[in-house]
Amino acid sequence: MADSVSIKGTREGLTITFGNGEFSTLLKDLDQHLATRGAFFRGGRVALQVGERAVEEEELSQLQKLLSNHGMILRTVVSENGVTQKASNALGLRLIAPEGDQAAKTQEKPNPAPPRGPASRQQGESRGILIRRMVRSGQVIRHTGHVVILGDVNAGATIAAGGDIVVWGGLYGTAHAGFMGDRSAIICALEMFPLQLRIADFIARPEENPPSKNPYPEIARARGGRIVVEQWNKTP
Amino acid sequence: MPTRVITVTSGKGGVGKTTATANLGVALSELGNRVVVIDADIGLRNLDVVMGLQNRIIYDIVDLVEGRCRLRQALIRDRTTSELYLLPAAQSRDKTAISPADMIRVCEQLRGACDFILIDSPAGIEAGFRNAIAGADEFVLLTTPDAASVQDVDRVLGILENEGHDDLFLMINRIRPDLVQRGEMLSPAEVLRTLAIDLIGIIPETEAILVSNNKGTPIARDKSSLPGKAYINTARRLLGQDVRFLPILEGKKGIWERFGSLFLDR
Repeated sequence: MADSVSIKGTREGLTITFGNGEFSTLLKDLDQHLATRGAFFRGGRVALQVGERAVEEEELSQLQKLLSNHGMILRTVVSENGVTQKASNALGLRLIAPEGDQAAKTQEKPNPAPPRGPASRQQGESRGILIRRMVRSGQVIRHTGHVVILGDVNAGATIAAGGDIVVWGGLYGTAHAGFMGDRSAIICALEMFPLQLRIADFIARPEENPPSKNPYPEIARARGGRIVVEQWNKTP
Repeated sequence: MPTRVITVTSGKGGVGKTTATANLGVALSELGNRVVVIDADIGLRNLDVVMGLQNRIIYDIVDLVEGRCRLRQALIRDRTTSELYLLPAAQSRDKTAISPADMIRVCEQLRGACDFILIDSPAGIEAGFRNAIAGADEFVLLTTPDAASVQDVDRVLGILENEGHDDLFLMINRIRPDLVQRGEMLSPAEVLRTLAIDLIGIIPETEAILVSNNKGTPIARDKSSLPGKAYINTARRLLGQDVRFLPILEGKKGIWERFGSLFLDR
């Protein structure tokens, strides 16, 4: 049974991997394991690796409790499974996709995937975060997917997204869309008065003396080697 | 009524935190509250000067936290306003002389003994600022109507909000109605648009404030003056009263009326 649960130390903390078998049995194994070597792991931050397994919220919170009994904190869940991802989100755990596995899979394919260049659209397309507050000076929102802000982005604040940036409010700070190299990323805002706009490797700043205008929604995209800002209703 | 502990802070220096703290202290005590003002700017103490109490200091806050005196001995009663007390900073030490835990302890000692504790924060967001905010539940953010000052208050607001504080009040200092009207100074509405917290005061810039600071007699004592009225009104709003903003531009249908309606719409 020792094979079904493994504990490894990494630079970030501990990684606990669950193999096959009943979840409750694995929990018992882990409990025993920690009871004997527990002091060694005390205070550790744990990343849980469950592979394809579907872990329900109830099970995940049992594990959380078990770990905290041993003085450890569950921080991250590594999973591709939808059920597990939902459970982790419900418990507010950090969720990451199993990178190593994916790399292994692409290597198995007869035709290797296109070389790692600008991150492709598809990768982050379904992911994004919604920020329902004003982003103030000095605050940084950084996400590898899309970023949607419901509120103003004030001067001195920075938004960086691997994908698109949508500001449902005024953009007065700095926004960097497609920061991993995606030149097709866009930035749009109800009121576009940024300090600086960046899309992938392009940088733009507003004119020195912009003509005063009534604010209207605008969209910025990279076109012909530079960033172009247009009124929202003129573009598809 | 439980004691309200309020820190006056701004991020940027030179916007008038010390003047505002002294005047709010005077205004609140004039309205019948017992007030203790604490100077948390250790090493650069000024609050005593603005209040005209510098020659009465025997013990300071560092003496208090290091156990060389009792709380009562360190508190200095104001010359004219009887229910106003100052706990002065030390001038010969620096910000490391006290810790946030010390500050919390001092505030706890004072709780129950007065209606308001006002803490004058040093500029910046480092150790001195951390001390100044440690014991407080409410915050008055002070800004002048210029982009740099507003941006610094925005930064401080981000820090305070991250720590779960939501009793945040805005005061706009040193407004020059003539400049605002010519569009050469940010208007209160523009400042409020960026910072989006409750506005409790607008203080006009007048020579009288500079003079009174130098003399050590806070302008709020002169209730007939425009800034004096503005401070009293600010104190009233802090007490939860609904007070209209003053039409500071006499005789002209200027920014104040427009601003007033904008404020009431919220």
